[in-house]
Amino acid sequence: MSDGSRGPVGEESRSGEHSDGGRVAAGWHRLRDRLERRALATASAATVAVLLVVFYYPVGTVLVESVVVNGAVTLAVFAEVVRDPFYTGEFARLFAGEGPLAVARAFLGPERRLGIVGFTAYQAALSTLVSVALGVPGAYLLARFEFPGRRTLRSLTIVPFVLPSIMVAVGFVAAFGRTGTLNTVLAAVGLGPVELMFTLEAILIAHAFYNAPLVARVTTAAWESVDASAVETARSLGAGPFQAFRHVVAPQVYPAVLLGAALTFVFTFGTFPIVLALGGFELATVEVFVYRLARDLNYAEAAALAVLELLISLSVLAAYLRYEASHTVTSRGVRPLPRRPLRLPELTARELLPRLGLGVYALVAALVFLVPIASMLFASVTGGDGALTLDHYRFLLERQRTGAAFQVRPWPAVRNSLVFAAASALVALPMGVVVAVVTTRRYRGRALVGAVAMAPFAVSGILVGLGLLRGLVFGVEIAGWRIAVAGSAAIVAAHAVAGYPFVVRTVAPGLESLDRSLVESARALGASRARVLRDVELPLVWPGVVAGAAFAVAISMGEFTATVVLATGADAYTMPVAIERFIGRRLGPATAMGVVLLVVTGLSFVVIERLGGEYDGI
Amino acid sequence: MGSERPDPTREASDADAPGADAPVAVALAGVSKRYDETAAVENVDLRIREGEFFTLVGPSGCGKTTTLRLIAGFEAPTAGAIRFGGRDVSGVPPEDRNVGVVFQNYALFPHMTVGENVGYGLRFSDPPGGVSREQRVRDLLDLVDLPGSAGRDPENLSGGQQQRVAMARALAPGPDLLLLDEPMSALDARLRERLRLQVRSIQQELGITTVYVTHDQEEALSVSDRVAVMREGTPEQVASPRTVYRRPASRFVAEFVGDNNVFEGVVVEGADGTDAGPGSAEPVLVDVGGETLCVGGGGAGADGDAGSLSPGDAVTFCLRPQHLRVGRTDNGVRAAVENAEFLGETTRVHLEWENRELVVRTEDPLSGRVTVGFDPADAHVIDD
Repeated sequence: MSDGSRGPVGEESRSGEHSDGGRVAAGWHRLRDRLERRALATASAATVAVLLVVFYYPVGTVLVESVVVNGAVTLAVFAEVVRDPFYTGEFARLFAGEGPLAVARAFLGPERRLGIVGFTAYQAALSTLVSVALGVPGAYLLARFEFPGRRTLRSLTIVPFVLPSIMVAVGFVAAFGRTGTLNTVLAAVGLGPVELMFTLEAILIAHAFYNAPLVARVTTAAWESVDASAVETARSLGAGPFQAFRHVVAPQVYPAVLLGAALTFVFTFGTFPIVLALGGFELATVEVFVYRLARDLNYAEAAALAVLELLISLSVLAAYLRYEASHTVTSRGVRPLPRRPLRLPELTARELLPRLGLGVYALVAALVFLVPIASMLFASVTGGDGALTLDHYRFLLERQRTGAAFQVRPWPAVRNSLVFAAASALVALPMGVVVAVVTTRRYRGRALVGAVAMAPFAVSGILVGLGLLRGLVFGVEIAGWRIAVAGSAAIVAAHAVAGYPFVVRTVAPGLESLDRSLVESARALGASRARVLRDVELPLVWPGVVAGAAFAVAISMGEFTATVVLATGADAYTMPVAIERFIGRRLGPATAMGVVLLVVTGLSFVVIERLGGEYDGI
Repeated sequence: MGSERPDPTREASDADAPGADAPVAVALAGVSKRYDETAAVENVDLRIREGEFFTLVGPSGCGKTTTLRLIAGFEAPTAGAIRFGGRDVSGVPPEDRNVGVVFQNYALFPHMTVGENVGYGLRFSDPPGGVSREQRVRDLLDLVDLPGSAGRDPENLSGGQQQRVAMARALAPGPDLLLLDEPMSALDARLRERLRLQVRSIQQELGITTVYVTHDQEEALSVSDRVAVMREGTPEQVASPRTVYRRPASRFVAEFVGDNNVFEGVVVEGADGTDAGPGSAEPVLVDVGGETLCVGGGGAGADGDAGSLSPGDAVTFCLRPQHLRVGRTDNGVRAAVENAEFLGETTRVHLEWENRELVVRTEDPLSGRVTVGFDPADAHVIDD
């Protein structure tokens, strides 16, 4: 026990001294040991450094502009924004000093003005409702019914979420535009054209396309973790099937639905490319105005508006986290509820009704999820005269061969996207794993660390891009040294910062549910904290790690907002940026580029999924 | 009757294998662990000797597992110091404490084979005795009676086998200290009895200092060199199983360890009519609920401290069920039979007397009202 006393089982204790060769080996061991011990601390420090350099510092510099005018700290710009009815509608009067009752009365009156912020919240709330309405039946189908292709369908629910928004916008134009699929079909049966473009409905459907699968995924996972014996106990105590659902199943599913709703709200509140493409400036959201103000070099007002946006997003997330802390049931069902066959077993109202409902749901889902993608595929092989043609792809090839240096060519876009995606995944994975490890341990202030680390989820992409551009690409002067990060590196960093919160979300729940005594056993056997992570924890949560990598790649490939800011001038444009540049001219090449993006993203996913098993998280 | 008398020569055997003069392997000095407001462990002083099988026993929430986790280094004490052989280990992470831990759920790594599990600790240290890693894994699996199972998947093992693999894994690197946290509680009764004997014999074969946590007092008594009975974060008594059973230091220990009848009364007078002076080993007369009972006199220092009692003192004493004899009319009470549990070798009968519950053991089932009495020397006065 004490130094020099021998262990009871053998002659030598662990750090036994050996011969000369042994001493070298022991020295190497000690060095490796020391490195390992510090691995986690080093990785944490590196994560903090990356976050500081590519997120908090750049965002901070822009934010500072909103509170520092001519060298003096002032809230004037911010106050101006919140008092401007153009932004905050009737609420502006509240900030201007009017009583809440008067404001409430005006708000309920017929002439109410929402302002940009109000409209953004309004469309986000509606988008959330539509997404939940479309997502929950999907979860019901996936969690409670058995049918051929169920697992595949479940895996596919991740696809819309990772599709680049600019591509979704192209798909929606192709599907619901003036000459889109919907109007073509309507015209064929003699119905007048429907004008969906530049309406709120189009935005809502596009948002649902994105977020309903997210709601479905988290809800399905929660539904599947309900323990069948809990339902059986309720039934044996006299509860009917509906009561058992209401008292046992629903309380365990609510938190997941709320998580989906909260995330949907935050994502759609900060929406940019969808609204830009489908709403135009008439239906502009806060983020669009941030972009507009920044483009007009009005950084102070842009930053103030972005802060307002951030505050609202964060308060929604905080409200959800508060709810989650008190409501989430962590116990995982030992025995999940049995799935019913989708095929009708007998012709009774009880069996028929849910299946009829699901049939209607399938039609709606097909319209929302399949038609835009199918329309984009179709549009990419359709010429102006409606005949099938490969012209758009030929255009891409032609451009690749003869395009001038200043023109956007397809191959550099594909290559850049792949390189940036791989590089940002390599940065985002360790960052996400470290944050997951740090936030799953219990200690005071854990929630704060978690919130700070997850902030990139909620901060305006325009703001980040702007901060990066002005802070890093143009260069920062620190103690006489000018530090500048080149365009490509800045893009990779921005993508990694955008992607790593997803790694955290996919890895942390697995780590959290791992039996603590596994880690402790390994520690007692002599493994350092980092070794336990490598030998025990990561192998056991591997599907989550792979899912995180898939997210990081997908986020990078689809990221548009920060990239479009950072890729100005340089040849660092990616596929989404190429699509945006093409769409300005004609839809055809943009749809062809969109198909290329779809194929490349899909292939990357297949490759990544091969590395891991089935994953149940977001 | 006479054979039941505590025999002074037996006391020597209490301090059996490690001997009271064996060096201290683990010492806890004034150790406390608080979580926010509540104290899980409060001001614990323990000295665990080298080679000793030391058991922490107590009801759930008494702090026994927390104490074990503090020794392992999974938790840091809020106050006090823990020393391994004189060396303060505060701040030393678990991987540097040279301890082997077996958990209640065994915590076998599900993605590794049995052999990989057992060999895991050997990735960080050379096997003791200069053997190869493979040989060490084989040796350990032989030791726990699972030869040839290195290639198996832990999930395909029975609970008892998993428990033994966990033992082998904990022992493989040759730890100085083995920590067992309720390693039997997930197993069925018969297997538990067999395995605890195996654990004990492995411990003795290796001579390894072992700290064992259990809520099962019978298990604690059957395998340990010494036992610490814990209550609300503090050990109430630390002694050999025999001492804990025969001379419980508190009412709590008396009632927690085995069946016991605890009486509270007031000293009336010394048994021979004089005040029992301090240090005398004379029995005393005690008034319990109107009945006068004669208690103590089992010999100086042997059993209780009836000697230091004077008339008017409140006194608590206890009697094991087997010492409360049915049919004995002197020094006893009349009680009503409430119910009887047939246990095979004996029958445990619950009696009611003056709103107190008494427990006796008999060969035959009883009914109605019975007389029970006891030899004063069998009563143990609790010195609370």
